[in-house]
Amino acid sequence: MTATTAVAMSTSTARALQRLLGRDTSLQLSLTRRFYSPTSSLPKKAWDPHASEYKYWNREESKHGEASYVLAMSPESVQKEARILCLAAEDDDANSPLTNPSSKLPFGSRLLKIGTQPTDFPDSLASERPNVLFVSPSCPHARLQLPLIMHKFPTIEWIHVRSAGIDFLESDELPKITNKGIIMTNAKGQFSSSLAEYVMLACSYFAKNIPRLLQQKKAKVWNDFDIEELRGKTMGIVGYGDIGRATAKLASNYGMKVVALRRNPSKSELDPVCDEVFGTGKQNLQKLMSISDYVVCSAPSTVETRGMVNADAFKASKPNQVFINLGRGPVIDEDALVASLKSGALKGAALDVFATEPLPTDHELWDMDNVLISPHNMDKTATFMHEATEFFVNENLPRFILGDTLLNPVDATLGY
Amino acid sequence: MASNSNESIYWNRENNSAHPSSSFNGPIIKEARIIALSDPNDSHNAPLYHGPLPESARLLKIGSHLDDFNESSIIEQQPNVIFVSHPSARDPLIQVLNKFPSVEWVHTRSAGVDFIASDAIFASHVQLTNAKGMFSSTLAEYCMMACSYFAKDLPRLMRQKEAIHWEQYPVRELRGSTLGIVGYGDIGRACAKLAKAYGMKVLGLKRDISSFRKEDDPHCDAMYGMDGLHELMSLSDYILISTPLTNQTRGLISREAISKCKSSAVIINVGRGPIIDEDALIEALQKGVIHGAALDVMTVEPLPKDSLLWQLDNVLLSPHNMDMTLTFMKESTDFFIRENLPRFVRGNQLLNPVNKAAGY
Repeated sequence: MTATTAVAMSTSTARALQRLLGRDTSLQLSLTRRFYSPTSSLPKKAWDPHASEYKYWNREESKHGEASYVLAMSPESVQKEARILCLAAEDDDANSPLTNPSSKLPFGSRLLKIGTQPTDFPDSLASERPNVLFVSPSCPHARLQLPLIMHKFPTIEWIHVRSAGIDFLESDELPKITNKGIIMTNAKGQFSSSLAEYVMLACSYFAKNIPRLLQQKKAKVWNDFDIEELRGKTMGIVGYGDIGRATAKLASNYGMKVVALRRNPSKSELDPVCDEVFGTGKQNLQKLMSISDYVVCSAPSTVETRGMVNADAFKASKPNQVFINLGRGPVIDEDALVASLKSGALKGAALDVFATEPLPTDHELWDMDNVLISPHNMDKTATFMHEATEFFVNENLPRFILGDTLLNPVDATLGY
Repeated sequence: MASNSNESIYWNRENNSAHPSSSFNGPIIKEARIIALSDPNDSHNAPLYHGPLPESARLLKIGSHLDDFNESSIIEQQPNVIFVSHPSARDPLIQVLNKFPSVEWVHTRSAGVDFIASDAIFASHVQLTNAKGMFSSTLAEYCMMACSYFAKDLPRLMRQKEAIHWEQYPVRELRGSTLGIVGYGDIGRACAKLAKAYGMKVLGLKRDISSFRKEDDPHCDAMYGMDGLHELMSLSDYILISTPLTNQTRGLISREAISKCKSSAVIINVGRGPIIDEDALIEALQKGVIHGAALDVMTVEPLPKDSLLWQLDNVLLSPHNMDMTLTFMKESTDFFIRENLPRFVRGNQLLNPVNKAAGY
């Protein structure tokens, strides 16, 4: 739908809303602004001067439920129906806001079928013209199934991925699908603050020497030792997306200096919580490694980032550095990391992600005293996956139905 | 006494470092003749022992007992300032004060003055100042670490690692949870500031809430007086104890107070051990009345080997070192030399006055 059409349609919708809402002027104002110019009214962020429309969701900062409210209050503003296929394991409970029969889906949407492979979706379904595909990591071999489903149901115009990472869907077919104009969105911004909390814990774990505290406790030894402050130290963030920024926000509140590395450094030049930002590339990465006391790797796993943090990068590490990985295992060269930990080039590491998960029981990392291992669960709050599905149901699905811009677009060619 | 009325009379390491003091007002009107009740081998006091000291200030003697200050030369010079850092200084301090009525000012290197607390010192005429605000941000870092230690179940991570066992489990977020701060002073406020950055709700408790105005403090959502302790305990997921030790706060966190806590609550103590009824705390931890505790201070330090605290899995213990950076005590001594000594010799108001009536 073009912008002009949207505005024209929206004017009558806006009037309908004005009648409906009457007294609730603040909501009325925000909605009419939205509908007269849906893209330019979305909140702009000071550090993103190039974004004419701000299209990403942040669980803490974004308004919740606006689109749902509009749809619920004014059903006549429906622009199109959402006829949904769900590519996921049937027993994946986290999808319940979508899949549970008692879940209330937005007006104008229907869930047609859940399945994990093309044969789960009968041919007759095509006549219902499904237009939305919801994909969950619980679908086995999702990277193979996705193109097959898309081929079977060419009416699908929008794919929403429940997780933030889309590497589990990576294939040669994927860019071909999205190049045809099919929109892909994900759960960016859902997990950022939990992971930021983990980062600060990981930094403090080494700064206050929790390993020594635990050893001394076990031995009933009272030995007061010097500890380090985080205040005044430098945190280097590799991959400055939503998670990176949430981390930077906390780190700067601690009084740390923050330097970041991202593909589009100009987007962060005015960012108040980031002191210095570099573009990608070997030299810049090594520069970041050489000045950071704590390095956080929060980059997605893409063709570009695979193996990015390698032996050369670790060679440039500042003495006494702590390395934290919460993006994806394959972004770092795990062998090089282990070697650096053993040689003392790194003081320690905190890892929530690994090249192979579960981490094989014979892996060296299990035995290393200066490594904090967590089983890829540092964003797994009791409700997080439900919330990710809720985001689809409560935020993006209504926007689709209203003809509004979808949040969290993904670039399948870039891989994130 | 000339002073800049816009400046706070309390020192805060983060604010004051950003805005270095420029307001030593007026000409030097007297000398500072200093005696140190300290350990001569204490390297943290090097800035005082080895100088240089500001204009018009001299160190006369270092000692730990009254006898160390018997030389007639000292008596003649009439010392007027005592710098105290010796852990056993309580009685010697009074004896020295009685011997040298010329003393006008006593400064402690630590924030806690409980180690020299006595009726005599609080009744004496001397100005008493301390190291309030020196250690707050480091302790705030510890406070957040202690909260996250339990929220992310670090003990479980340690167990699983030792067993080479990969098992995902749900973690808790600090975001949206409530931090209750018992003793909303400089340390409390530093913790509140960080907790807010995490998206926590913050409740505070102060002895004297008459001067607190919510509009002035964006970091605290609600402030209680002493009578609100039980309510604060019942509403908080994490409870920080950051009061000084005084007659009013001794045993404040009683068995009854602890019984008001949520069973998921975590108690964090950075104040002084005796503020909490330690036996009641141990029992509560054993019985699951509360979820866990992080203790940097204990009733008896070093913690005796037979204390049950050593064995409890749901306790994070540290040997009163969570503010012990390499430079912290030296920074505190620097504060005495660079901030309060120049003020003293000019007759300006000294920073960090201790409220003798309140005991802190």
